Amino acid sequence: MNGLQRQRGEDPNPTGSFPVPTPPMWTILSNPIKKFTSSLSFKLSFYAGFIMFLAVVAFAYHTILTQEKSLLDEKIRASIKDTEIIKAAVWNGMMSKDRQVIREIVAAVGKEGGFREINIYDHRGALHYTSRSGQSEDIGSVATSSTNPLLANLDSNASLRYRFIDGGNILNVVNPLNNSAGCATAECHADPSLEKVLGALEVNLPLQDLRKKISDSRRNTLFFAIALFLVVSSILGLLVIFGVLPPIKRLQRNARNMAKGHYAPAVANYGSDEIADLARAFDDMSREVNSRTTKLDQSRRFYKDLFHAVPCYLNIVDPDYRIVQANRAFTDEFGDYTGSYCYQVFKGQDTPCLNCQVKKTFADGLSHRGEQVWTSEGGTRKAHVVVHTSPILDEDGKVSQVLEMSVDITRLKNLQAQLEKKEQEFKTLFENVPCYLSVVDKSYRIAFFNKRFVQDFGDCWGRHCYKAYKGRETKCSNCPVEATFADGSTHSSEELWHLNGSDRHIILQTAPILDERGEVVAVMEMFNDITELRLLQDELSTLGETIAGMSHDVKNILSGLEGGVYVVDSGLRQGREERVRQGWEMVKRNVEKVSDLVKDILYASKEREPEYQECDPGEILSEVFDLYQGKARDYGIELARDFEPRMGSGLLDPKGIHSAVSNLIANAISACRSSGKPNPRHIILHGSRIDTRLVIRVSDDGAGMSQEVRDNLFRKFYSTKGAKGTGLGLVVTRKIVEEHEGTITVESTQGEGATFIIDIPLMRPEKKTA
Amino acid sequence: MAKKILVVDDEPDMVTFLCALLEDNGYATCTAVDGEEGMERTKSEKPDLISLDLLMPNKTGIKMYRELKKDPETKDIPVIMVTGFAKDDVPQMDFKKWIHERAIKPPEAYIEKPVNKEVYLESIKQALM
Repeated sequence: MNGLQRQRGEDPNPTGSFPVPTPPMWTILSNPIKKFTSSLSFKLSFYAGFIMFLAVVAFAYHTILTQEKSLLDEKIRASIKDTEIIKAAVWNGMMSKDRQVIREIVAAVGKEGGFREINIYDHRGALHYTSRSGQSEDIGSVATSSTNPLLANLDSNASLRYRFIDGGNILNVVNPLNNSAGCATAECHADPSLEKVLGALEVNLPLQDLRKKISDSRRNTLFFAIALFLVVSSILGLLVIFGVLPPIKRLQRNARNMAKGHYAPAVANYGSDEIADLARAFDDMSREVNSRTTKLDQSRRFYKDLFHAVPCYLNIVDPDYRIVQANRAFTDEFGDYTGSYCYQVFKGQDTPCLNCQVKKTFADGLSHRGEQVWTSEGGTRKAHVVVHTSPILDEDGKVSQVLEMSVDITRLKNLQAQLEKKEQEFKTLFENVPCYLSVVDKSYRIAFFNKRFVQDFGDCWGRHCYKAYKGRETKCSNCPVEATFADGSTHSSEELWHLNGSDRHIILQTAPILDERGEVVAVMEMFNDITELRLLQDELSTLGETIAGMSHDVKNILSGLEGGVYVVDSGLRQGREERVRQGWEMVKRNVEKVSDLVKDILYASKEREPEYQECDPGEILSEVFDLYQGKARDYGIELARDFEPRMGSGLLDPKGIHSAVSNLIANAISACRSSGKPNPRHIILHGSRIDTRLVIRVSDDGAGMSQEVRDNLFRKFYSTKGAKGTGLGLVVTRKIVEEHEGTITVESTQGEGATFIIDIPLMRPEKKTA
Repeated sequence: MAKKILVVDDEPDMVTFLCALLEDNGYATCTAVDGEEGMERTKSEKPDLISLDLLMPNKTGIKMYRELKKDPETKDIPVIMVTGFAKDDVPQMDFKKWIHERAIKPPEAYIEKPVNKEVYLESIKQALM
């Protein structure tokens, strides 16, 4: 300690900012010394030895003091006894009144008895006898209480007394000489009998030997104590070194190992003392610690692995919004931002976010959820995340940190956006698809429809489909929607709907709309008005038939021509005039047929401007009547007229009207011929003027027509005559009538005949030309 | 004695032509305008051969042919079918197919209009041999 203090004293700058000089030798030694003095063996041996030393010294001191006292007491007792003997001897001498004898006794005893000095004083203190040689001159000198205090007050206290003088080396005993009867009566006696004490005997005994003995004894005891101290210390030291230190060192080593984290000590034989128990207890503790540490370690590693391996972003944020720790998923994706402010990292902001889940959790200690968009530095990575915060509590239960758990839903968001886009696309498609689309639920109510649907059906939301489409009160039979609900597959049907006052051909297809379990929850109906298409289709199919019919017609005409030519040739060859005429008629008829056919085709296919001129319809009707009367008769048909030859002129296309009426008559002849009824059959050509209208009626009692035939009557290429009809006749007729802004209608009963009615306005010439 | 041929056709011109052709080539002729009359004439005239138009009003050539072949009296009379239809034009009027489907003995020949005179006469000659 001293050394240290001195060392500090010498160091002018203990802070060490200056170079420290090489320390002196003692400082080099001080450390080992310090180490030694603070070692257990030193402490134990030194202090135990020192205590032993002190004990021995104390014991020896006590013994020596007792011995000294007892020796002195013995000496005093001996000296008292000696003074009594001397007193007796002197008393005898006095009785003999021979002073010389007394002197000799005193001298002899003083010489031989080992006394230093023997003196006899009278009661006044005057010295009368002494053993000191050569001291006769002192006789008669008076000793006072100042020179020897023991001589004082002898009268009042006639008891023996002693003291140590000359530094304790001499025992000075004074024994008073009491007045006795013998003395008091002795005439020699100078003192009256009243005196109690006549004098005193003083004896000095030397004590050097005794003192030397005691001193020797003391020294020996001290040596013994020191030797004992050394021996005890050494033995204790060795015992400590060999008996105590090794297990302690082992303990130390184990403790150090434990401190380093090696918790599993080797099994060792420690013996059976308390240190061994301690060592074992320590080892047990170490093993226990090891086991718990291992478990703790495993648990820690488990949670660490979990922290890093969990497939979402984990951040631990402190109250300053700094990222304390982030898991691997986060650092891999965004980089290591430990120590940065979360709002800087996630949002590139300088202040915490307004709606911050971390802040809320710090405030109320509860978990919070939210959705956020993170933007990495430079905005290269944009992440949509769902953030979930949980508090991390300290020992006091306060929120010290917040665990921020974020799930990246960017892909989901993108998918959602794509889905929405797709949905929009589908919706647009659905809305704008050029056919009717509707969705019908299980109760056949319309739940959804597109634009096109609304245009023609109106807003039918919630109405029953059968009511909305067909005006029915109950579900239709053979309903494709029902079939789709039943089997989950698509169905189609072609239906005739009455829409906006006309019959429409509707082709309808159904498709199931499935839920997640694959059950049909609704049915989509997609339908289109194919009336025009159907008509076109019919026309095409009749066109095919008609072309075949026409080619047959042409072939027939060609055959007729060829036949006519052959018959003419044959007649000429054989000189048979009648046959030549027959052949020539054939040729003429067939040329006429070709002409009619070509005219029909031209009428039907071309936009022909009617050639209006003022004429009397009666004349036209007469012409037609004359033309067909003979022909009808050939087939056993009576053609009757029911019109005035003069009906009053009007503006008409006479050729057109002629064709139209001719067609009707030709049709009537066919109908009569194909009726299978017995002849004669009848055809009536009727014409009349009603106000400004011209009405022409052609009636026959032929085959009549079915409803289907009536419906298709005025369509191009429709023919019931098979090979005999072009299918163009009535089309041409209607076309002509419509050019005259008139109408043509038919009344017919199957098997009973038919009546065609042409009704055209007869315009005044000036009006028409205007 | 000249062989007698019944010409059944609803077209008078066709009848005139075919009769002139056949008479010029040494055949006797008789005529009918439809299937019904054709059957009557067949019974009354007992022709050696029938030239039959396929399409006619009242009773078509097909109907008449079926009746001819059903009737034991007439079933052995050879028949030449004369038709304005090529089978490619109107498939439903394919008479040949119709015949095959019904396991009826087919006619001796088919002649398409316009009638080729040589082929027509050769077919008749063959059928009558």
